[in-house]
Amino acid sequence: MNNENRTSFFASDTFKGLLPFIGLVVIVGAMYYLTDGRIMQPRRLRLLLSQVYYPMIVATGVFFVMTLGSIDFTEGSTLGVASIVISELSFYSIPLAITGGILTGAAIGAVNGFFHVKFKLQSFIVTICTMYLFRGVCAYMTTETAIPASAAIKALDSDNLKIGITLAVLIVAFFLFRFTRIGNDVKAVGSGETAARFSGVRTDRVKFLAFVAAGALTGLAAFVNVIKVGSITATAGNQLETQILISLVLGGLPITGGSKVRFSNIVVGTLMYTILNNGLVMLGFESATQQLIKGIVFLLFVALTIDRKALKVIK
Amino acid sequence: MTILLKAEHIDKRFGITHAVNDVSIDIEAGEIRALIGENGSGKSTFCQMLCGIYSIGGGTFTLDGQAMSVRNQVEANNLGVSIIVQEMGTLSGLSVAENIFLGHEEPFMHWGIKDTRAMIREGQKLLDEYGFGKIRAGAMIDNYNFEDRKLVEIVKATYFKPKILIVDETTTALSQNGRLELYKIMDAVRADGRSVIFISHDLAEVLAHCDTVSILRDGEYIDTVNAKDTDEDGLKRLMVGREIGSAYYRTDYGREISPEVVLSVKGVTVPGQIEDVSFDLHRGEILGFGGLSECGMHEVGKAVFGASWDRRGSVTLSDGTAINDIPSAIHHSIAYASKDRDNESIILNESIRNNIILPSIDDLANHHILNGRKLSRFAKEYADQMQTKMQGINQFVSDLSGGNKQKVVLARWIGKGSNILVLDSPTRGIDIKVKQAIYALMSELIAQGKSIIMISEEIPELLGMSDRILIMKDGRINGSFTRSKELSEEDLIAKMV
Repeated sequence: MNNENRTSFFASDTFKGLLPFIGLVVIVGAMYYLTDGRIMQPRRLRLLLSQVYYPMIVATGVFFVMTLGSIDFTEGSTLGVASIVISELSFYSIPLAITGGILTGAAIGAVNGFFHVKFKLQSFIVTICTMYLFRGVCAYMTTETAIPASAAIKALDSDNLKIGITLAVLIVAFFLFRFTRIGNDVKAVGSGETAARFSGVRTDRVKFLAFVAAGALTGLAAFVNVIKVGSITATAGNQLETQILISLVLGGLPITGGSKVRFSNIVVGTLMYTILNNGLVMLGFESATQQLIKGIVFLLFVALTIDRKALKVIK
Repeated sequence: MTILLKAEHIDKRFGITHAVNDVSIDIEAGEIRALIGENGSGKSTFCQMLCGIYSIGGGTFTLDGQAMSVRNQVEANNLGVSIIVQEMGTLSGLSVAENIFLGHEEPFMHWGIKDTRAMIREGQKLLDEYGFGKIRAGAMIDNYNFEDRKLVEIVKATYFKPKILIVDETTTALSQNGRLELYKIMDAVRADGRSVIFISHDLAEVLAHCDTVSILRDGEYIDTVNAKDTDEDGLKRLMVGREIGSAYYRTDYGREISPEVVLSVKGVTVPGQIEDVSFDLHRGEILGFGGLSECGMHEVGKAVFGASWDRRGSVTLSDGTAINDIPSAIHHSIAYASKDRDNESIILNESIRNNIILPSIDDLANHHILNGRKLSRFAKEYADQMQTKMQGINQFVSDLSGGNKQKVVLARWIGKGSNILVLDSPTRGIDIKVKQAIYALMSELIAQGKSIIMISEEIPELLGMSDRILIMKDGRINGSFTRSKELSEEDLIAKMV
């Protein structure tokens, strides 16, 4: 007599948790059908995979930031600046280049974290500002010509190395998220910052470190990017931030962060985005149409996965 | 007597919780009817269905012989039902007049344009009639404090002479003066042949101002009694369904307090909140803090816990360890339960499990590595020890009633094994059964040699539970008392004002 109050399966958390996986299967299925199976050709799959590595590394860092309920818009510009640093340093030594890239990213993350935590500015505002700042730096350094990387670093380009780095990042991050207090702390801040602080979580430190981690991982991703592309232009990493944001949301990460995030959001989301993107290219859509379709899919997913309870607690 | 409102077989479920279970109540014209019950007994849900906040799960309401089924509060208002709620019921960013006439702007509209001046004039007329003339109808609602905003809400809920006025735990938010105003308005509604449904936890207030009392328990209707035929104990018995023992507060007097000082607060000042507060907390005692709500006592709890933003002076343990931030307070066995339970004590959008383990997480880790099953066992052990009413430890805290939320808060600190507990308003908004359990727990804790700082706005609680009582006024300690049978409420009040 009062079915309206029983949570239907489609509104349940179980279903919401499954939705990204269902979405992945649907998108793969649809693309397979629409491209007559061409998307599954080995050559295609390799190409697809080559586009997954660095977004997945970046997404892993941003995952921690978004679990806090914050947002980071600087990945694209960080990737650009870090790529430049790596290219320049690659003429001296490869380990130095990697370290330089990671430190550059971490430093940008530290700037974000510092302004976000110390000045209590919303991460949204801070990272939009720093995004323009570092996008500017990147453009300034590449105005004359594209910056080439050394031949030594380009020679490293192999799927095994890139897969290895990506897997290592995922495994370490998964371990930290699942089996140390780091995961608990970021989720607690995302679900309720004040209460987390009163429970002994060093909220400011957690927030700062999450931004540093996101920056550092973007720096590492820049290394993977440099060995793939070989020279850096002003558009390096352009729009990466929105790509990452969309990927994570497609993967089921609630934009409010908090207790309902799942580590699988990173992997499923990045795969979904890449497959969707490739499929649309293969189907011969113009880039304007591609954006339109991506926009619609994104909007649908946010509407379906958002945790309304977190927005307003209903008593 | 004519029956004004007939509620028949009213029913409501939230998921698997049967919030209101087949409740039938008749309310007569010209009476003030109290609706009482413990937290989660369904009284608020019942009223919120009546006034359109929740949809009706089953059954019918008949008002003045007409079946009513409303979809929102405005429709309820139009049929003659209005509600004053416990929380903030006015909207920021609007003027006082706009708040009063929210949803009823029609009389002031001409060709789709609002006549603001007429609205303010009408609003001011109402405020003056109610005797709240100091509130200006044209001013922004944000210029007024919580209490004045409540008065605006009272006007908003009653100016159109509703047949049924629901007052849902409003009095806890009001000072004595505000309460008197509200009682006057309730009496006026009754004198007019209309009716009031009054929800309150304060049984003395219920008995003093209501004609009849209906009791709900676990969503079910229990009984309706005449207020003059019963007393507080009688009502408690009906609410709880069993005899409440006399062991409500502590009964021991003249207990020796250990000379051992476990925590020492010296010259603590938090600008704008407290001034030069110093005291010692002894082993195994309950140190009560009382005062008016703005006296600074709540800040004392935060200061001890290292949670004040700008604190001077020192808080030290017996071994000289200084407590300056929350993590070190927790590490050194200090626990804190805030008055603002939903924001500061627990993470609402988290599971019971994760709330309980959070402060203990370092203790539960093995070389920084966590074992999920061990964490769950820990959470379950302490949630069960506190007899938390839950579906399981993975249930979200936001689903729990106030009393059960507080049990989760206490469970985490009992689990942490804290030796110094700072409990700010530990029984605020909590029903008798849980209250009794919390008092029993406090007695047990001091018997184990733990020390408690209890900050409370309830004087009987201070008198009943504390070994020593410090009364604060304007941010300073203004009086100090030792537990005794002779100590009276008046003694404490004299130092508060």
